[in-house]
Amino acid sequence: MVMTTPYRSSVQNPRDGFVQLMLAEWTKLRSVPRWSLTMLGGILVTILSGMLLAGGAGSASSGGDGATRGISPQYRDAGNYVHRVLTGDGSIVARVASQKNNDPWAKGGLMLRADAKPGAPYAALMITPGHGVRLQANFVTDIPGSSSQAPRWLKLTRTGISVTGFESADGATWTKIGTVELEGLGDQAEVGVFVASPDALQLQRQFGGEDIVENTNLGEATFDNVKVEPAKPQQLPPWRGDIKPVAPDATSFHLVGAGDIAFYHYATDSTKTMLTGAMFGMMAIVALAVLYVTSEYQQGLIWTTFTASPRRGRVLAARAVVLGGVTFVLGLVAAFGTFLLASPMVRKGNAAPATLSDPQVLRAVVGTAALLAVVAVFSLAIASILRRSAAAITVVLLLLLAPLVAGSALPLAVAKWLERLTPSAGFAIQQTLERYDTAIAPLPGLAVLCAYTAVALGFAIWRIGRQDA
Amino acid sequence: MEATIEVRGLRKSYGPTVAVDGLSFSVQPGQVTGFVGPNGAGKSTTMRVLLGLDTPDEGEALVGGRRYRELRAPLCQVGAMLDAAAFHPGRRARDHLLWMAHSNGLPAKRVDEVLDLVGLTSVARRQVGGFSLGMRQRLGIAGALLGDPPMLIFDEPVNGLDPEGIMWIRNLLRWLAGQGRAVLVSSHLMSELEDSADHLVVIGRGKLIADTSVRELLDRAANGRVAVRTAQRHEAMTVLSIAGATVAATGPDSVTVSGLPVERIVTLLTEGGVSFSGISEHRPSLEEAYMELTQHAVEFHATAGQVRSWS
Amino acid sequence: MRHALHAEWTKLRTLPSNLWLALAIAVFTVAATAASTAAVSTAQCPTPLTCFEDTAKLSLKGVWLGQAIVVVLAVLVMSNEYGTGMIRTTLAAIPRRHTVLLTKAAVIVATVFAAGTLGVLGSLAIGGVIMPINGFNPANGYQPLSLLDGPTFRAAAGSVLYLTLIALLALGISAAVRDTAFSITAVLTLLYVVPVVSTFVKDPEWLDRLRRFSPMTAGLAIQATRDLDRLPIGPWPGLGVLAGYAAAAMLLGGVLFVMRRA
Ligand SMILES: Nc1ncnc2c1ncn2[C@@H]1O[C@H](COP(=O)(O)OP(=O)(O)OP(=O)(O)O)[C@@H](O)[C@H]1O
Ligand SMILES: [Mg+2]
Repeated sequence: MVMTTPYRSSVQNPRDGFVQLMLAEWTKLRSVPRWSLTMLGGILVTILSGMLLAGGAGSASSGGDGATRGISPQYRDAGNYVHRVLTGDGSIVARVASQKNNDPWAKGGLMLRADAKPGAPYAALMITPGHGVRLQANFVTDIPGSSSQAPRWLKLTRTGISVTGFESADGATWTKIGTVELEGLGDQAEVGVFVASPDALQLQRQFGGEDIVENTNLGEATFDNVKVEPAKPQQLPPWRGDIKPVAPDATSFHLVGAGDIAFYHYATDSTKTMLTGAMFGMMAIVALAVLYVTSEYQQGLIWTTFTASPRRGRVLAARAVVLGGVTFVLGLVAAFGTFLLASPMVRKGNAAPATLSDPQVLRAVVGTAALLAVVAVFSLAIASILRRSAAAITVVLLLLLAPLVAGSALPLAVAKWLERLTPSAGFAIQQTLERYDTAIAPLPGLAVLCAYTAVALGFAIWRIGRQDA
Repeated sequence: MEATIEVRGLRKSYGPTVAVDGLSFSVQPGQVTGFVGPNGAGKSTTMRVLLGLDTPDEGEALVGGRRYRELRAPLCQVGAMLDAAAFHPGRRARDHLLWMAHSNGLPAKRVDEVLDLVGLTSVARRQVGGFSLGMRQRLGIAGALLGDPPMLIFDEPVNGLDPEGIMWIRNLLRWLAGQGRAVLVSSHLMSELEDSADHLVVIGRGKLIADTSVRELLDRAANGRVAVRTAQRHEAMTVLSIAGATVAATGPDSVTVSGLPVERIVTLLTEGGVSFSGISEHRPSLEEAYMELTQHAVEFHATAGQVRSWS
Repeated sequence: MRHALHAEWTKLRTLPSNLWLALAIAVFTVAATAASTAAVSTAQCPTPLTCFEDTAKLSLKGVWLGQAIVVVLAVLVMSNEYGTGMIRTTLAAIPRRHTVLLTKAAVIVATVFAAGTLGVLGSLAIGGVIMPINGFNPANGYQPLSLLDGPTFRAAAGSVLYLTLIALLALGISAAVRDTAFSITAVLTLLYVVPVVSTFVKDPEWLDRLRRFSPMTAGLAIQATRDLDRLPIGPWPGLGVLAGYAAAAMLLGGVLFVMRRA
């Protein structure tokens, strides 16, 4: 037997911590030129398709004629409003003598608002043919009153920034409906009567697109006993609005009006539209994330990886962090790039251009990068479980896309459930408006995708340590 | 920590196939241990278990007294080359070594050192996809040497190499062992290990057949045999067999005789009128010794196919 | 050529995963049909008599999912050989490369045709069971589907043709791209992502163009049996568009395959 002194490695202070692992994985990721090209290609495709989509979305001038200039497409602020200035506290009373039943949500009643400009804070008390008396404010508040129809007496009272609505059958005994607070209401407010009516909407969903056709639908109502009663005595200025000149002391009005004042569920989400181009970039990232894992199995390189770092769960975790991080950064480049280059193209025809100062828009843009990162980690986890490119790619793409593809041909309720329960819920992070087909809110949607990813990654980590490499 | 590789009662099966079956042996530092067995004998499986890649069904495989998966910065303790093709074809040679170095916190200068050691410095910035088999083999060895480890495990390192490459690897193995490292090298051809291995672990069908030093094996295989060169092979065999010797034909004009001393053979042949052109004590090659050895392992014999014979 | 065909067929047949994939084509198609038909009922229409649902199309719906497996099968037939290096063996045995590609196409088409027929017939059968339960029955004016009915037969046979064209498209792309992951991604992106993204195109002219020229929406027009005048593209011209894509992909793949070293 040969006896020698035991050999000692000449390398000083080797370390195999998590940082070293991440550095190793980053070196792997960046050193295959084809992968880098794929990443860059993904960014470019995302931006280019975002611009094309923005161009396509803009030319239909976002949601037809009903859009109100200057305010978020989420709201419609139209109709026919006859108003005069009320300084300080006071109230307005009127009887809605009659109303045309042209839509369940046709509106006729009283409105008090900060000013006459679109999007101003408002409180409106109205009668609707299908939903009775309602007190609504600022597009989102909706307090139901009785289910009475015209003729009906209505009263709005302002105290400070609080506005209270009352209804009555005879103009003598009043029933309170509710109180709303209007932030930003100044000393002077506009008060008056209004008529509004949603457009007649035809919605056709079919594979590969939706068609929304809106036709103007005229609402009509007659008001009498209209009286503005200031708390402090004052000279009331004349009535203004889209009517023939009326006497300052007129108490009866017949109004005809198109357009609605309400939350609008059919608006074009131009931010989401342009960011949808990220779906192409996402495909590149899915392919890359899968290859990042499966190529090691195919080439037997996984043995080298696991001999260098035998704690396999940590290897997988390091991979997820590196790939997720890289994708997030590149995703930010792609998403902001898309927004900056594509939104000028939307702006041309849009009522209210999206800006990054809008928190919803900022969340959608940053969220797109997060979405890409989570999808990358999800693909990585699935690939680590399945180990084969073809299987992993198909599973990931079907989980992400099939609910969207299938959804457009299924009844809306089913489609929404599909989008809530599958990984494609993550796409919700790109929406900035609430629509009739919104399945899930942005953050919960991303959370669903994250949950899928966490489960897949957890399972992959659990299994990789128990399996033969 | 003692740089010994040790396998104890190892068993590993894949489904119905038993790849390793109760194998025990150890690899000492300072020498090259050959790990020999025919295709499918279980060499690669044993090595994968040693490296913590596969989990054994029974028994254990230890490197430096510990299980591989418990090692910290393992590249500095065990270097391994399992499969020469295990590179991403699109990655440059240097980048391949660089990520390995990063994973164990080794300085980047080690990468250049090992590239130099295996003679790949000039192609370090080329993609591995364009490498020849020999270059890949060298790159694999560079990866094994990256952490300058005291234990080395090579699976068929000479597979597909030209004679010059084989020489290079032999010298490298000797050099590494000479520094006091434990070196385990597998091969399915005994001849590949001639001149490089000090010790041999022979397995067949997952079982240990021999665990012996090379010298011992050769001595045992020689076993007092005498080689005779003669044009009259048939006559020679008859004469010697009658005298009680065991005679085997080893070629068209040569026979091997055992059971008789050289002088007696000379006398018998001369008396019998058999001419011969040479007579010498038999020096078995490692290959022959291996054959000899495996001949006795009956169950292995059945799978190893026929042993070459001229009779 | 006959030997080459036999060789390709043997390669395809002897890989167990191919058999599973072929079965999966049929199973996915039928399962997706079952799910879609179960989700649609006359209860969702204003009145059962005004549903205007295209029942033949509905019961062939699963094809959109089955095609994903067709893509995988067709891509793997080519890209697997590159992944394993077997392409060199193949080309050593059959040096005429266009023969290799054409024979691969032939065996793939045959396999997909068989699996697709199975899936389509299964879909019609399961749709025939589920749809009457959901109100699409003679009482509401919906006659049971029959392959003897001209448009229904066209829709069913066309769906099988659709799947084989998808297979050729995928084969062509994988001959051009060679890598499994990138090929599958490219084809599935073309099939699925383009229609999903086009949902967001509002410009009617562009929307119309996208519907007419994206391979899946155009090709699946073959399944329509009513309101044909309201389709963005007619059934046969739609399938023609897909055939154009398949031919272009095969041509591109063929040229690259013949010109490139293995
Ligand atoms: N991952 C695996 N799955 C199934 N069977 C395996 C696996 N790895 C090895 N085997 C089987 O185990 C047995 C031993 O294989 P192993 O690769 O260890 O042999 P070997 O001695 O290295 O052979 P060679 O000299 O050909 O490299 C073989 O029968 C082989 O088929
Ligand atoms: Mg082996």
